Amino acid sequence: MIELADVEGSLALFAEGLAGRYLHLKTLAEQNTDSIDARLTNQSMDNLYLPGCLPHGERSDYLVLVLEQIGYRECGTFGFDYARFCELTGVSQPTPKPHTQPDRDSDFTRLFNRFEDPAIARRLFLLLEALRISHHIQRTYPGAAHYLRQHHAKLRAQFSAHRTRFDLLQHRVWGDLQALPSLEDSLIPLSISHGSVYTTAEMTCQLYPFFHHEHDLLLEELNAEVSGTEWMQREARLEDWKDDQEDLARQMLNVEILQAEDALLREDVGLAGDTRDTNQTLNSLKSERDALSRRIEMERAALRHAVGSPRGQARSFRYDEWNYLERRYIRRWCRLYEERIVPEAGADVDDLRRVIRQWRAKVRSRLAQLRPLGLQRVSRVADGDELDLNAVLEARQDIRAGISPDDRTYSRRERVQRDICAAFLVDLSASTDDPIEPPEPMPFEDDDEVPNLRDPYHEPPEPASVEEPRKIIHVQREAMLVMASALDALGDSFGIYGFSGYGHDCVEFFVAKEPDESLSGRTLSAIAAMQPKRSTRMGPAIRHTVAKLMAAGQSLKLLIVLSDGFPQDCDYGPRRGEHEYGVEDTAKALAEATAKGIETFCITVDRSGHDYLKRMCPDARYLVIEDIEDLPDALTKVYTTLTLR
Amino acid sequence: MSPMELLPEPLPEPYYLPVGDEIQVFEAAFCARLPVLMKGPTGCGKTRFVEHMAWRLQRSGKLTADPALLTISCHEDLTATDLVGRYLLKGDETVWQDGPLTRSVRSGAICYLDEVVEARKDTTVLIHSLSDHRRLLPIDKTGELVTAHPDFLLVMSYNPGYQSVLKDLKPSTRQRFVSIEFDYPAFALEAEIIAHESAIDHEMAERLATIAERVRNLRDHGFEEGVSTRLLIYTGQLIGQGISPRRAGELAITTAISDDRTVQDAVRDIIDVLLP
Repeated sequence: MIELADVEGSLALFAEGLAGRYLHLKTLAEQNTDSIDARLTNQSMDNLYLPGCLPHGERSDYLVLVLEQIGYRECGTFGFDYARFCELTGVSQPTPKPHTQPDRDSDFTRLFNRFEDPAIARRLFLLLEALRISHHIQRTYPGAAHYLRQHHAKLRAQFSAHRTRFDLLQHRVWGDLQALPSLEDSLIPLSISHGSVYTTAEMTCQLYPFFHHEHDLLLEELNAEVSGTEWMQREARLEDWKDDQEDLARQMLNVEILQAEDALLREDVGLAGDTRDTNQTLNSLKSERDALSRRIEMERAALRHAVGSPRGQARSFRYDEWNYLERRYIRRWCRLYEERIVPEAGADVDDLRRVIRQWRAKVRSRLAQLRPLGLQRVSRVADGDELDLNAVLEARQDIRAGISPDDRTYSRRERVQRDICAAFLVDLSASTDDPIEPPEPMPFEDDDEVPNLRDPYHEPPEPASVEEPRKIIHVQREAMLVMASALDALGDSFGIYGFSGYGHDCVEFFVAKEPDESLSGRTLSAIAAMQPKRSTRMGPAIRHTVAKLMAAGQSLKLLIVLSDGFPQDCDYGPRRGEHEYGVEDTAKALAEATAKGIETFCITVDRSGHDYLKRMCPDARYLVIEDIEDLPDALTKVYTTLTLR
Repeated sequence: MSPMELLPEPLPEPYYLPVGDEIQVFEAAFCARLPVLMKGPTGCGKTRFVEHMAWRLQRSGKLTADPALLTISCHEDLTATDLVGRYLLKGDETVWQDGPLTRSVRSGAICYLDEVVEARKDTTVLIHSLSDHRRLLPIDKTGELVTAHPDFLLVMSYNPGYQSVLKDLKPSTRQRFVSIEFDYPAFALEAEIIAHESAIDHEMAERLATIAERVRNLRDHGFEEGVSTRLLIYTGQLIGQGISPRRAGELAITTAISDDRTVQDAVRDIIDVLLP
């Protein structure tokens, strides 16, 4: 038996290496669609779905499953174009039925709708395509051929029932060459191994008559309306539509340039302008572009609904969670998505620099005491402020012995990189959107003063200008900006991260700055773009930050968590609203960090934080800030204390 | 002894397969006596390229020094003294010994500073006066100011991939050079290089090039750079010596590019499925 969690890390890299892009490896339990066909492709554009456990499997079975799914991408399955199929085979495109929306159907659906029973055609197509992929794997990955044979043998033994003709075909896909009756088998051309998705579509047409009577037996299984493959094709088609949209924009620009040139020319020769033709072209291009934009938006919404939000830029990681009720870890329970904070284009960083300027003097004077650590005496150098007596003695001995001496006989103080890496983890839960000071209650208004809106002489009062109240997130961001600027001047490496999410399978981790990046305007804008999001599942976010700190490799590692309340999430514990589970998991995550040699500290602006922070943070390493405006100052103090330990 | 026998035996041509116009660019830079900076990942053929160019220029008679190329591998303890020279004790007297840079400046050879950013900062003083119009080498200890031989050419290489974090070339240094960018060759060229250098059949060379292509997709995971062409040649050479392809891949690729077990497992799997 093997579990996905055992091999997940290396398997994700294996998939990324072969596919050339990052793919989230997920368990089948995380799959959105219940479609029967999804079992055959088990993937979406960003995800590969694999069984969480293979009771009779081994590592090589997982390799085969990944290869099969990558095979679909390599073989162009999802690039299927129905119009191209019609062109290749010379068949005509049927007139769409009145109640259907051909634009909203995938090209596969349009192919299957040609048949009397589309579900049968779909099933047949997917099995034949699986056969083609299997050939492709054996040809492209010769080392995997015997793993594939072993895997198929296990499947044949596991599913030995031959209820339907589809079962026979399935066994043929799994390498049993005798499975199909010779007539059908003879129809599967040898060219399938080198054929394209259109070869499979053509074979589907040829073999359909042998399978169409299977429907009754498979009614239950074939109920699936739209298969995973079809969603994948629609995702691929969306990319084509985006290309078309860009083409249209280019064409419109060309027409506009043409119009401008034409107008100039007419002006020069003194002719009256007549740009009716180009205007018509421009208008038709505009309407085409608008229609396409609407179609893209609708398609995106449909895809989001079916296969979840796209997470193309994010990487995902799974972490254990501590279940204090059962005193055990729930293995790989939380899925954390890591993505960079992308600041708005052209964001103004002047305000940010103003905040930094405001705090600079205070913070720098506090951090100044750390500075001397940045210098170290380096001995045996060619030039320096002091003689290195050991080197001088050795040189004299060498001269006496008639050996050429080493002329590096000085020592000097050099600024060296401080061996510190700090990670700041900022809680971006929805509650950070709350104002620091609760809003003043509305003054009681006398009934007499209620304006009579029917009064024709009534003039409504000028609305008072409403200034946006200062919120917790504002202070958190400013504290981070100030720290970032101060630590950059000090030369320490540090990372700034935010976290939020909703549910154990969607913990969001936002990267504003990684330790190996220099502080730039982009970093400042990324910090400023930190926004309140959803819940506070602290455990996985801490575990992920710990993994980053361990990878950074510095000898002194600090983790400072900034939050505004206790850890909570929709499924962080047996009952919603009960915080003990989250506190225990976070305490465990902090204890794990301490065990790895990381100095941890929690700062909260929650005035009632003492009761749970006492239990959550090891050795009372926490600070409750009464006045949130003190946050930058408190943060500096904490940093200084931790690094001078 | 006949005059024919006095002629030195011509050196064999260092094999180099051009991937672009780098040969023409280097020749042009040499004719104009412009110093050359080569940037590129480790094991992509920078050193071999300089060896090839030195051989080529020598064969065409444009470069007369022998040896035509002096290579210095820079490291963090390399000082200006190591490059220029030092006084050595010989019996009761001290004699001046030219360093490799001074030797090439005097003889008119190509001086190749490999991984130059590794060297100590005091070396840049020498590089600056040699790489602009002055073409001078000051030797503090002897008080000498050596004018470079007309054929002298300074060539440096560095790897922006992993050296940029802590060390980098200053713009004032960088902007004295003609920069040539190198990268790993495209699939077909890389297969041809592997086949030539390791004398394995073309099919196996293509397999190794495919492995490289896929493993390079993982550059960001624990190893600074992907598998180099040099490592692929080593793999091919081990295979040529009778080591099984998988074992050769394990020895020359998997364990060489990363110490991270997870990355090693992934690379091992990639090699495993791609080799017959």
